[in-house]
Amino acid sequence: METATLDGKAIALGDAYRHAGKILKEAAFPLIAGLGADVAGARAAILLAEQLKGAFDHLASRETLADIDVKRSFGMFTTTANEARLRGDCVVLIGPGLTQAWPGMLERLALAEPPRRGAQAQQPRKVIWVGPDGDEAKAVPGAKVIPASVQELSGVLAAWRARFGGRPVALDAEKITLIDALVETLRNARFGVFVWSASTLDPLAIEMLQALVIELNATTRFTGVHIGGRSGASGVTQTAGWMTGFPPRTGFGRGYPEHDPWRFESSRLVDSGEADAALWISAFDGEKPAWSRADIPLITLAPAQAAPSRGLFIKVGQPGVTHDAVLMGQETGGMTLRRASAPTDAPSVAQAIGAIMAEVSEGAWR
Amino acid sequence: MALTVLRGGHIVDPATGQDAIGDVWFEDGRIVERPDGRSADKEIDVSGHIVMAGAIDIHSHIAGGNVNTARLLLPELHRAIRARLADTPLSTAKWSSYETGRLYAQMGFTTVVEPAMAPHHALQTHLEFNDVPIIDKGALTVLGNDDFLLGMLRDGEKDGAINDYVAQTVENTRSLGLKCINPGGVEAFKENMRAFGLDDVVPFYGLTSRQIFQSLQKSTQALGIAHPLHLHMNNLGLAGNIDTALATIDAAQGLPLHLAHVQFYAYGKEGKNGFSSAGALFAEKINANPNVSVDVGQVMFSDTVTISSDVLKQFNSLPGAIPKKGAIFDGDANGGGIVPYVYKISNYYNAIQWAAGLELFLLIENPEQVFFTTDHPNGGPFTTYPELFALLMSADLRAQHLARLPAEVLEHTTLPSISREYTLYEIAQMSRSGAAKLFGFVDRGRLSPGAIADIAVYKPGRDVAGMFRRAALVFKDGALVVRDGQVSHYTRGKTLHIRPRYDQQITKRLDSYYDELYGLPRSIFDVPDAALPHKDAFAEVPCRI
Repeated sequence: METATLDGKAIALGDAYRHAGKILKEAAFPLIAGLGADVAGARAAILLAEQLKGAFDHLASRETLADIDVKRSFGMFTTTANEARLRGDCVVLIGPGLTQAWPGMLERLALAEPPRRGAQAQQPRKVIWVGPDGDEAKAVPGAKVIPASVQELSGVLAAWRARFGGRPVALDAEKITLIDALVETLRNARFGVFVWSASTLDPLAIEMLQALVIELNATTRFTGVHIGGRSGASGVTQTAGWMTGFPPRTGFGRGYPEHDPWRFESSRLVDSGEADAALWISAFDGEKPAWSRADIPLITLAPAQAAPSRGLFIKVGQPGVTHDAVLMGQETGGMTLRRASAPTDAPSVAQAIGAIMAEVSEGAWR
Repeated sequence: MALTVLRGGHIVDPATGQDAIGDVWFEDGRIVERPDGRSADKEIDVSGHIVMAGAIDIHSHIAGGNVNTARLLLPELHRAIRARLADTPLSTAKWSSYETGRLYAQMGFTTVVEPAMAPHHALQTHLEFNDVPIIDKGALTVLGNDDFLLGMLRDGEKDGAINDYVAQTVENTRSLGLKCINPGGVEAFKENMRAFGLDDVVPFYGLTSRQIFQSLQKSTQALGIAHPLHLHMNNLGLAGNIDTALATIDAAQGLPLHLAHVQFYAYGKEGKNGFSSAGALFAEKINANPNVSVDVGQVMFSDTVTISSDVLKQFNSLPGAIPKKGAIFDGDANGGGIVPYVYKISNYYNAIQWAAGLELFLLIENPEQVFFTTDHPNGGPFTTYPELFALLMSADLRAQHLARLPAEVLEHTTLPSISREYTLYEIAQMSRSGAAKLFGFVDRGRLSPGAIADIAVYKPGRDVAGMFRRAALVFKDGALVVRDGQVSHYTRGKTLHIRPRYDQQITKRLDSYYDELYGLPRSIFDVPDAALPHKDAFAEVPCRI
């Protein structure tokens, strides 16, 4: 497989970097998108976007910003997966696909085992799963399953919160009895934990959940574990946070960062023509951009199998697979160094962008 | 690097006792004696200027997961308004790690200590440090609500084992020493306790706060860690908590102890609001206990955010958040609480806090025992230090402020009766020589030969705050980084850390503990060199033994 191609034809790597630099330098408002990268790759990409006075976005920003929107407009209670594992006596999983969003979830939360700490140590753990996918909940023996479609999730949370507050709901008596029993379980938890992924909840549903957490904390302890977005979204968001003060969907057109989730959304920028060149980064799995326009200059950094037939392609390695990479660990809630499991000499995103940066600006800060 | 001389400045260097006109020579990043038979390659006339060592901030929350949560929580607090200068990327990105380095450098600060690094989140703190340009950084590792330590204490393990654990954790997290935050209280909050005092008992461990911090205090001494245990006491912010503070000083048993942001503990219950300044009483106690050092955590009237690993306290603060939101993180030991707040000069409680902080500064006699922090950003941002220094140096300026406070405040503080004005020498004791001693730095905070050439040159004028806000010249490791209050380019500072000695047996024991409890290798929490973007990120500071 070629290390670099232009419209599907092999070119030398050095020429590819020069060409990438030219495309980005000539653009009035270049976009750095996808951003499926480790911390070093995100760091390099953000420095490049700043240097170019362009914008940056991440491919899972919708999910990331759903959680951040709740945090910054309302507030948020969270804990680590390990604290949930050791102390959570009542774990409530919300929605389908959690094991897909976080394949290691069941192992990490050890839901079948009793908690280890506090008043509830060694007592059986109560596990409730609302709206799991097909067989997803079967892996947790004794879990109470509450069937619900994705569309119904926010209504379910609203009903819980209403009943927790002693307010009436327009449901039949049988359902109300079930909800009241469930609410009683929440109330009696000593260290309860909601687990959710913004891939199936919108910001209003997440806010409903967090409002319930605040109300539960009036008398007991309750908190949450949120599952981060794909392609390194959590690590990229943290990196963007300390570098610019803001999460992705941030632009540097005025020479300083401005964050605007609508203005700097990558598909809108490309489809509207506001961005006149794009650097697409998807180093984990080669996911393709979601925009529809195919006429702006495009540079793709992705693994070999994801080479597009159009535009400039530079092969990069996979973070934590072909090279060591710092990523946010869902299992710890913190940054960690993942050692390469199958090292190759493919450049990392940070190395590729470093080479492009050298074409854009001599002596740039790195 | 060229042999450089700063000619004819007013040198204020308490470490060497200088307070007179003189020259400062430096070469290859270090201060040197005036060389015989060689002339300077570069001569800079600093006559009419003040020359000090680069300042050291001993307690400022500048990096780590909790700080980043605050950034993401409060986009409205930090909208940028101007483009950066050439060669200083992201330097005007407000509240970014890059801006932090630039703003500190412009004020003549060259070393800053982040006081709250959670062991399980150390790598992020170090990654953020990497992106704070110019200045040197260091952190304190937080222990005291962690199951491993509490379990050891409960089981009555020998001091040696506890010392090994402490030393191993400090080394592994690559820090300058130990911080303890509401010892036991954060663990108790997870068990739904809503208040936690010095002698309250942590559920399931049978330990009091007193026992926990005394143990860590002893370990710090036994390991030869220069910085005394850095303690965030119980009952922060509560009316009447002066009792906690006084009892804590008694509990220190004469051993070295650093009390953090003590202004937040200088409260009595006098007056119709049941809230008064106990600053004078507190200062008297500190004067009588030379084993205790403090930083103030001065409140400066501003829009800010409180960031603390005292999760219990931060949870209790949520109802008073301005704007009304916050983040509460129950971490693997301490975690964090982020609660925005606005200190208003018209607010009785805030005005008492402001006055209590100044009383502490002005009534503690030894400037090397009290440090100038605002507990950034908890009492106000670090960018208010210049105004704070001006307040300490002028009774008139304080009187102007006092006239604007709610009248009833004046009945519950001794501040109006205090005429003391700090001299530049005393400011330098607090911000340079004393701060260096507090961390055992032998080659910074001073201008003697052999010291790192971190130098701040200020142009005195009637505007004292302006003088401190915009240093005329700043040299970092001998390189000119600031001219006329502007950073011209970035250099890369170091992260300072210590490596106390310990018995390697503890490492095996910790590996099994993590394996058994979490089913995770402990190395997942490490800070390996390979995780950081640049080689040579660290510089080791020796321990006392």
